[in-house]
Amino acid sequence: MIQIKNVSLWYGKYRVLYNISEEIKKNTTVVICGPSGSGKSSLLRCINGLERFQEGQIFVDGKSVQDPSTHISELRADIGMVFQRFELYPHMSAIENITLAPMKVRGKSRKDTEAMAMSLLERVGIPEQARKYPGEMSGGQQQRVAIGRALAMEPKVMLFDEPTSALDPEMIREVLDVMINLSRSGMTMIVVTHEMGFAREVADEIIFIDEGKIIERSTDKQSFFENPQSERTKEFLSKILL
Amino acid sequence: MDWGVIPRNINFLLGGLVLTFELAFFAISGGLLFGIIMGLCRLSSRKWIYAPATFYVNFFRSLPLILVIFWFYFITPIIIGRPLGDFLSAIIAFIAFEAAIFAEIVRAGIQSIPKGQVMAGYSTGLSYVKTMRYIVIPQALRNMVPALVTNTVIIFQDTSLAYVIGVKEFLRRTHLVDSREIRSIELYAFAAVVYLILCFLGSTLGRRLEKKERR
Repeated sequence: MIQIKNVSLWYGKYRVLYNISEEIKKNTTVVICGPSGSGKSSLLRCINGLERFQEGQIFVDGKSVQDPSTHISELRADIGMVFQRFELYPHMSAIENITLAPMKVRGKSRKDTEAMAMSLLERVGIPEQARKYPGEMSGGQQQRVAIGRALAMEPKVMLFDEPTSALDPEMIREVLDVMINLSRSGMTMIVVTHEMGFAREVADEIIFIDEGKIIERSTDKQSFFENPQSERTKEFLSKILL
Repeated sequence: MDWGVIPRNINFLLGGLVLTFELAFFAISGGLLFGIIMGLCRLSSRKWIYAPATFYVNFFRSLPLILVIFWFYFITPIIIGRPLGDFLSAIIAFIAFEAAIFAEIVRAGIQSIPKGQVMAGYSTGLSYVKTMRYIVIPQALRNMVPALVTNTVIIFQDTSLAYVIGVKEFLRRTHLVDSREIRSIELYAFAAVVYLILCFLGSTLGRRLEKKERR
């Protein structure tokens, strides 16, 4: 589904990513972890073209992200993204947040889209919030609307950029539950997170990134957590796993 | 004092006020439309887009409005080969000048919207234009309301400058009546009161709008 080939990214003279390569298969969930500033969020933004990298290639569903002939908006329509700070549109109600893109990008009717949006809100457990504005909702509710907004485009892949990092502790669970269900329903997901409980539960592969390099990757969760190969991974895990 | 000069000429004077409103309407709507486009160009990352827009904005912001009005009035007949007429010439000058002012308000308003909002729009497949239209500009406009209201009231006052090229707007007509009847104090006092009341109403309406938008 996604092939990342030797991707390098610079911000000016500062090198953010070093020759990252990775393949993400359909229906799998990949968790990316690593210290802040390690380049994991940048990597995520490279996948849907929100960040332009200088070297390498990324293919999503066979299409090269940075190829001039690729229609980037069309490609992004098939890639859902969930942000750390939700980024709901504050001037629109929950349901309007969800229906905007299906109506304006796919040209669907308001009636059909609203019915679909309601079923999505039910799926994330907050149908009663449909007419509320982001400012009237809790962080957990906002993030669930944001997941609904991404799902409304019926994406082939979902990218999550630290979706629980800005949440109060008691709201993390409700968001993770939605993500776990999504993963179990077969969605292809790339999740940047420090929630190792989530990784243990649904990750098919875990990648540890530090200073723009993939330090360790593992499809065997048990051994990743209990017996990491690299010293750097060991150190990182010892700090975040209590 | 002869206040009778006002009722005697009220139809003529109010006719000028209609022209003043027309000038203000075209200056504000045209200025805002081109101002939004120019403001967006100023924020472009492509040099061939932002450099000319920046030059345009700085150019017009460095000139007194009255000069721009004169300049358009005298230069357009040379360029297009025939006179444009004072009213049309004034409107073009106002739009050209106000577009530069609005562009700066729009730029500041758009920069006040977090970049994450744009990313969220893009990530759902919305194009640049649609992201601006449905997500960024509606929010930016709300932030811009106070500055827009202030500028709108200023434009209304500035339309009196069209006087210098002979547009028979309100102040020009006041002057015309005065040159016939020599009642300067009464007439200019009346003009002041009319501008005062209308601008005060405009600001009050604007404040209401601000409160409504803030909710």
